[in-house]
Amino acid sequence: MTKTQTVKERIVERYSRLSDDSRKFSNIINKPLKQSFRVNIIKGEKEDILRQMMLYDSSIKKVPWCENAFESDLTNLGSSIHHFSGQIYIQELTSMIPPLIVRDLIKKNKILDCCAAPGSKTTQIADMMENKGHIIANDARHGRIKSLRGNLDRLGITNTTVTLRDFKSFPNTKADLYFVDAPCSSEGTIRKKNAVTRKWKDYDYERFSRMQKGLLKKACEMAPKGSTIVYSTCTFAPEENENVINEIINEENVKLQNINLNGLKMKKGITSWKQNDYDKDVEKCRRIWPHHNNTDAFFLARMEKC
Amino acid sequence: MLTTLDLDKRALIIDYCYERFGIMEHIFDNYNWYIGSKNRIYIGPEEIERLIPESIGLCIFRLDRTPKPTTNFIQLFGKEITKNIINLDRDQTLDFCSGSDLKITDSVEPGFVSIKYKNISLGCGHWNGETLKNQIPKSRFCKINFL
Ligand SMILES: C[S@@+](CC[C@H](N)C(=O)[O-])C[C@H]1O[C@@H](n2cnc3c(N)ncnc32)[C@H](O)[C@@H]1O
Repeated sequence: MTKTQTVKERIVERYSRLSDDSRKFSNIINKPLKQSFRVNIIKGEKEDILRQMMLYDSSIKKVPWCENAFESDLTNLGSSIHHFSGQIYIQELTSMIPPLIVRDLIKKNKILDCCAAPGSKTTQIADMMENKGHIIANDARHGRIKSLRGNLDRLGITNTTVTLRDFKSFPNTKADLYFVDAPCSSEGTIRKKNAVTRKWKDYDYERFSRMQKGLLKKACEMAPKGSTIVYSTCTFAPEENENVINEIINEENVKLQNINLNGLKMKKGITSWKQNDYDKDVEKCRRIWPHHNNTDAFFLARMEKC
Repeated sequence: MLTTLDLDKRALIIDYCYERFGIMEHIFDNYNWYIGSKNRIYIGPEEIERLIPESIGLCIFRLDRTPKPTTNFIQLFGKEITKNIINLDRDQTLDFCSGSDLKITDSVEPGFVSIKYKNISLGCGHWNGETLKNQIPKSRFCKINFL
């Protein structure tokens, strides 16, 4: 048995009772994910770019819930001319969700992307803002800032300031919208080719959870009244998801908001896990299960500062 | 460390863009201009007090003795460029994207040029009348499999 299979089995064992269909869940976990990409309309007309791409890739299919997202049967679009010219960005579909659930707030605003590297969401947000407004894209790791900078250059992003800080010591900065796309155990990316191959232990989840609470708390503290905070992870682990949100809504002056995205099936947040019960409002969070939309797994919460 | 670019230097670049590439001045409305290490010129949003940024906006030029456009600049503003463009064929494009210089014939004036394949802006080259010197940063070199 390979190491990856063991991790997959563990994921199925730990989470299938939370899913609505354990058979479909365990089946899809073993299927590889298709490559997906986003057209960067800062660098051209969507229809034009697609028409040209179709000449070498007839497998391209539109994703129903995201207007600029597509899937392909090719596995190496990174070596295409359209990737070279910054007209496309290869991105997991689930990673595109956080900006989409606050689409109404994005235009021309000031946005703080607290954990931004390598910039999948930053570049997506910049595209949605038509390169206007202002994004502050922060990350704590120098090596990852380099890939963020590389992506901003390739995609032609002009509206972004890049900072290198541990977000927990970030200077108080007023913005309209905060993204906390937190470091996590990444279990939800298990279908990817280079997926996490570590079997996490309970204390790992605790460690991630502490880190996530610290980052989210900081965002909630600096956010001005009426601003919005989006928290996301790519893991199934309730310790890193509902548990974090439950503590934050109890301790910080924020309230959870509803989340909808036409065409994408999402499930409510859970309200109990192991020996812990969570606030009923935590149901407003959303879980994306891999077998519902043939994607990775993902978790989202949208909060308003009161 | 970035500082605001003075107006004379900004005007020099804007004039160069018009004269060399036919880019209209209004394209640069609404940007703030900065200069950083190695005379790199950036256009971007306003500076925010108390943040010490790694970068603001996009690096579009280097200003040593003369202005030198970046590949970022040529790719982003390619559709505004009306002159000093060199169009490559398929094989030349493959070579150019992987970082090679090209021996070609073309009648454009020597100097920095915008390189295109069909309507796709590939980046910056330097043309001396005989050789097209590749100006794409090494980190962007790529063996293209699909075009
Ligand atoms: C899930 S990834 C972010 C992905 C990114 N939002 C995107 O869409 O491309 C989490 C990021 O958090 C960064 N990180 C970890 N601890 C941090 C901290 N204390 N402050 C800021 N960033 C941190 C990591 O370096 C990593 O790049």
